[in-house]
Order: sequence, then C-alpha cells, then structure tokens
Amino acid sequence: MEVWLNKNMKICMTDGRTLIGVFLCTDRDRNIILGSCQEFLKSPGSYTSCAPGEPRTLGLAMIPGRHIVSIHVDDQSI
Amino acid sequence: MASYNWVDITTEFMEKSSELKLGELLHDPEFGLFEAMSAIEMMDPKMDAGMLCNQAKKKFLNLKHGIETGFVKIKDLSYPELLGIIDDTYACLVTWLEGHSLAQTVFTNLYLHDPHLIEERSLRAFCISMLKIVDIIRDRINKASVFEEEDFQSLTYGFALATEITDSRASGMLKEVEDDLLRTIKNTRTKQNEDSDPVKEKEHVYATALHSRIKFTKLLFSALIALSKEKCQGIGDANQSLKQMLELLQGMKETWSLGVQNEDQDGRTRDYPTILGFEPLINQRLLPPTFPRYTKIKSREETMWYLNGLINRLKAVCTVTQVSGLHQTMEFFDEFSKPSPCVLSRSILQLLYVPTNRRILGTHSMVDVLKEAIRGFIVPPALMPRSAIANNAPAKEYVDAFLAHCVRPVFNLLQTVGHNRARQRGKWAHLLEELGTLQDEADKVDAYLHSVLVKMEPGKQHLACFGTWVLYHTLQVMLNFTLSGFELELYAVHEYHYVYWYLFEFLYNWLISTLSRAGTLLWEQETAEQCHQKTKSGKKGKKNKRRTRPHSRELTLAQAAQSMCGAYHKAVTGLMLSGKLQQPQFEYDSEEVRYNHRFAPFGCLVTPPPVQYPQFKEMTDLSLYNPPLQPEDLYSTAAKCFQQARIHYEGLTNPNNEVQILIKVCKTNFVVMKLLIGGHRKESKDPPEFDFSSHKIFPIIKIP
Repeated sequence: MEVWLNKNMKICMTDGRTLIGVFLCTDRDRNIILGSCQEFLKSPGSYTSCAPGEPRTLGLAMIPGRHIVSIHVDDQSI
Repeated sequence: MASYNWVDITTEFMEKSSELKLGELLHDPEFGLFEAMSAIEMMDPKMDAGMLCNQAKKKFLNLKHGIETGFVKIKDLSYPELLGIIDDTYACLVTWLEGHSLAQTVFTNLYLHDPHLIEERSLRAFCISMLKIVDIIRDRINKASVFEEEDFQSLTYGFALATEITDSRASGMLKEVEDDLLRTIKNTRTKQNEDSDPVKEKEHVYATALHSRIKFTKLLFSALIALSKEKCQGIGDANQSLKQMLELLQGMKETWSLGVQNEDQDGRTRDYPTILGFEPLINQRLLPPTFPRYTKIKSREETMWYLNGLINRLKAVCTVTQVSGLHQTMEFFDEFSKPSPCVLSRSILQLLYVPTNRRILGTHSMVDVLKEAIRGFIVPPALMPRSAIANNAPAKEYVDAFLAHCVRPVFNLLQTVGHNRARQRGKWAHLLEELGTLQDEADKVDAYLHSVLVKMEPGKQHLACFGTWVLYHTLQVMLNFTLSGFELELYAVHEYHYVYWYLFEFLYNWLISTLSRAGTLLWEQETAEQCHQKTKSGKKGKKNKRRTRPHSRELTLAQAAQSMCGAYHKAVTGLMLSGKLQQPQFEYDSEEVRYNHRFAPFGCLVTPPPVQYPQFKEMTDLSLYNPPLQPEDLYSTAAKCFQQARIHYEGLTNPNNEVQILIKVCKTNFVVMKLLIGGHRKESKDPPEFDFSSHKIFPIIKIP
C-alpha cells in the first residue's frame, strides 16, 4: 500500500464527480486525503461524453470513505 | 492535460486499508495529522462548494449557449424585461459592495459576460457602462486599501470589464439611448385635447422609468470618474451629478415593481434574481475551494434605499475639500466613520484627501500640512517664520527630520479611521507603538531646540512643544481604542467600573491638561503678537474679534466627557456596593487579568505611563473612608457629575446632534441617580440595565 503514496490517484465519488490528486494519507475507514487536488464534473477519461467545464482546483481535500465509488492509481510511475 | 495510465485498485485498496488499526494513519513521513487538518472535506455541504453546483439544475452553460437555446434574448426585449434586468443588476452591484464576490453577484447576470453579443441598444449600453462602473469602483477601493475580506472582494475571476471601450464612448452610448427614450416619452405623452389611450399611457410610464435608470447610470458613471480626477478637480461636477441622481432616484423608488419579477419558489420570494439573463449558479466553478458563502442578493426596494444612502454619503465625502487644516480633517474623518459608512464611500474619502501621489488633496505636501497643523495647535518657536531659531541651520535640520518621521504615523492615523469600525480597534492598538517612538523623538527634539533657543533668546522657551502635539494624538488614539470597546460591546457590565475609571481619572485628565497647555501657549503668543502689532501700527491696530481661548470647544468636550465617565464610575461603584451589581465568581480569570488585558496596548508607551492594576485598586479603595461610604454617597457624587457634564455640554455654541443626545442622557441619568438616593427599589437585587441605544458610549441607566 505504501507504494501508492505520493502517486497520482483518481477517485470517483458517489455524486458523480471525479477527483485527481496526489495520494497523501488514508486510514482504516478509507478516508483519503489528496494533495493538489482537482475536481472534474465528469470523468475526464471518458471521451464519449462531451464533458464540459474546466477542472476546479481544490488543493488539499479529504474524501470520506463512504463517498468513494472507485479508486484508480496512475501506474506510470510505479 | 497530462496523460495517465489508470489502474483500478478499488478492491485491493479496500482490502489493504481494512488491515489498518483503528486510528492508524498510512501517510508519508512528510505528511502528518497537522497538515491533514487543513484539508477541505468533500461532500460536506458547509465546505464543498462543488456539491451545491451538482445539485443545481442549470438551464444553460454560458451566454452563447443561452442565446442558442433561446433562454436568453438579445433583441426585442420588452420594457418590463429591461427594467427588471437593470434593477436586479443594481441589486447585485450593491450586494457586491457589501462584501460578496463578483462571481456570485454582478456576474450572475449573463449579459455582462459579453455585452457585445447584445443587439438591444439600451441593454448593451447599460451593460457596458455597468462593467466600467464595476472596474472603476474596484480600482478606487483597491487603491485606497481600507478594506478587509469582510468588506470587499476585489477578485474579477478574469471577466473582461469593457476596458476596450473608452469612458467617453460608454457615456455617449448611454446618452444616445437616453435621447431616444426622451423622444418616446414625448410622443407618448397624452395631449390635452386627446382621448387617453391606455396602451400609449403604459408605454409612457415604462419609457419614463427606463429613461431615469439609463440617465442614473450615466450620472453614476460620470460621478465616479469625476471623483477620481486628480487634485479634487472633479468635485463640482460630481456634486452636480449626485444631486441629479437623488432626484432620479425618487422616481426609481416608485417604479421598482414595474420590471419583471422573480418567480417565487414554494410561495417564498427567492434570495437571488432568476429573471431573464440571470443564472445564480453560473459561476460556481470559479469560486475558490474555500467555504462557499451564501449570497443573498438585496431586494429591489432595499437596493433603491441603499443607492440613496450611497449618494448621500458621497455628497458628504465631497465636502472634505472645504475642511481646512489637518486636525479639522481628522475630526471630519472621525465623524464620517461613526455611522459605519460603506467601503466605497470610505475609499473615495481616503483618495480625495490622500491620493496615490501622497499629497494632501493632491496638491500640498504632508510636511507643509503638518507644519501648519502644529503651528495652529501650539505655536512652537521653531516653526514661527520670524523667530531666530527657525533660521538656525542645525535646529532646522532636527525639525525637518522630525516632521519627516511624523508623515507615516499621520497617514496611518488617517487610514485607520477609514477602516470598518470593528477593525479600527486593533489598528489603534498597533498605532500606539509607532506613536510611542515618535513621542520619544519629539521629546528629544524639544530638549535640543530649547538648549539652542535659550542661548539665542534668553527668557524664551521651547519646552514640550512637539512633545505635546504628539501626546495629543497619542491620547486621542488611546481614547479611540478604549471607547471602541463600548461600541463593539466588548466590555461586560462588571468591567464598566474600571474602564470608566481609567477614562475619567487618567485619559481625559491627560487630554485636558494637554489641551490646556497648548491653549495657554497659543493664547500667550496671540497676546504677544497683538501687543507687537499695536506698538508697530499705533492706533490702527485692529481689535481682535476672537477673544475666546483657543481649543476651548475641544476642552469643553473633553471636560464634559470626563464628568460623564466619572459619573458612570461612581454610579456603577454605588450599584456594586448596594448589591445590585454582582461581581461574577471568576473561575479561570480574575479582575486583574481582565484589567491587564483591556489596557495591554498601553504598555508600550512611556508618556502617558500606563496605570497598573494595584495602583487602580489603591486609588479606588473604599475602605479608606471613615465613616464608610454608603451607596447613596456615590449616587450623589454621580448625580453631581452628570449635572456638571450637562452644564459643559449646554455651554457649547452650535451643539450638534450628538451633543443634544448627550444632554438628554445626562438629564435622564441625573433623575435616575436622584431616585436611587431617595431609596427607590433599595431592597431589590435586580441588576440595572445599561441602554446604549441613544448613545454608543454613554448609556442610559435603568433601574428595573
């Protein structure tokens, strides 16, 4: 699990938003803290949807474990 | 955008994380719980601005999209639509001036995102001018920098503020529209021998309402430009515009309901405009990741009243150019600040008196203004042109250096009064440090000048001239600091006795002696000059009409305030003695701790020396009296003090509104004291009430 620290992480939340940021911290309840976090209204990976809107910079954000739908890590750096 | 190679680790992550112990954190050594504290919590409605955005059902995404989908009309707008848009835009503008962000107020009007797309001429001209008005207001407030985050948000979020269009072009556009409307008004006017035509009459009413709004906008724009002119050259024009605006506003107040209205939501009126062209949540994405502020846009009716107040404040600001002298201007600033004026009028006042070139009213150097002010206050020989010492080179050097050092603190004094009332208190405390240093220098310069002067002109003095002047300002700041605690409701009732004591025994005492000293020196100088003139010009020496002592008004006010504070101190002590006022049982602090905390900022001063708590206890020790004091004795002293204060206030010529209120407060409290002496409700232990509704510092005492 330590290998994921300081890697880019993509988290989809229960309300459909996606957050991308640097994985900094977690605990037993999967509360995750992302640094330099950006918020996307829809998944930026899905080219099919004409996802409008620029990302919004949030900075340091904590996502409560119960609101997490899926977690992806950027494996380029692993 | 950086390309990623995402790998799904959801299940793996869940498994691994559940292996952690309760309370255990997996984190980088660089990142700890402390850093984690500042993270914003997603999905928490109080912190997560983006969440609100997702809940909102937006009709369209931006102006272009709105036009394409037909939600936003750019031509053939009806009169009610135009009136509604204009009035709601003003509502947004004044809400912005109350400290909300542009994105949540003015720029919820989509037309302002790109006014060039609008085909309707009146709306386009209005929108362009509105952008320019926003720009100029922002510029003024930023330059004056007498705001804090609660007063004003200057961020423009990258919106274009029509800078490509010149000021005169924008005014011209409004003028053209105004003229067109004037023609419509004329054509639709029912002539005497004509039957009334309801359609025509209605158009007439609408056109008149729109005309006054367009004209109002033009005048607001030109007034703001005039007020920004260098060296206060635009004051005349600005006054003219402001006067006309007040007249127009009368009509606008009557017609605010003509425009299209917001649809009610569940029978309640909404907190923000939703009419054609407005989309309250359009800029949600632009907001910073901090806590979203809930923005309630003012209603149209409130807006008209706000504008009315704003214009009156700006008119008052314009009169600053008629005030002569630094001390009088400081008094003007002080009076202006008392009713908590808005950030725009505060900023404009600052910039008129101290523009960005740091020359007073744009023309005089601060050092010259200071010289004149000090001369008018205490006539130091070193500043008198005919005195020998003024032409002594080393002495002159000292004086110039001292004056140069005064410039910054004096600018800071002026700027501090420009801030909002709550912020002023902290800034006063801060200023005392600077004034303490200045006092030190003033005393040294005085001593040096005195040593030079006695050699040149034996018998003359230069003792504590500059020192007294600095002390006068230091005392004013100390008073402002202490008095602001009442206005901001910081003091608890059981603290009143020492706060009023400090004011009575110490601060006002020092102020009175400072003013008397300065007054005496001025008086002597004037008398000497008159004798000089008489001997010089023989019989022709004209009689001086002004034979009142200098600073007499200020002195009387200080004496009156001192009597007031003395009266409250005695009254509160009496009430405590009688058991009507209970000291709380302190668990975590004591009176001494509170006392020291209240007067802590005075600790940095040498003159006047702060009064320590043991000294206060000693001076107010009631056990020294034999026979022991009864509450009635204290009430009777208080009654005398209230009467004394009233006599002082009544002795003032041209009493202003505040003085009249104070006379009333004196009279009422005098009666209350008499009642207490007579044994009114003697047995009752109900605490008295202090009613600050008539005056912010001197309350009316009520015995329930």
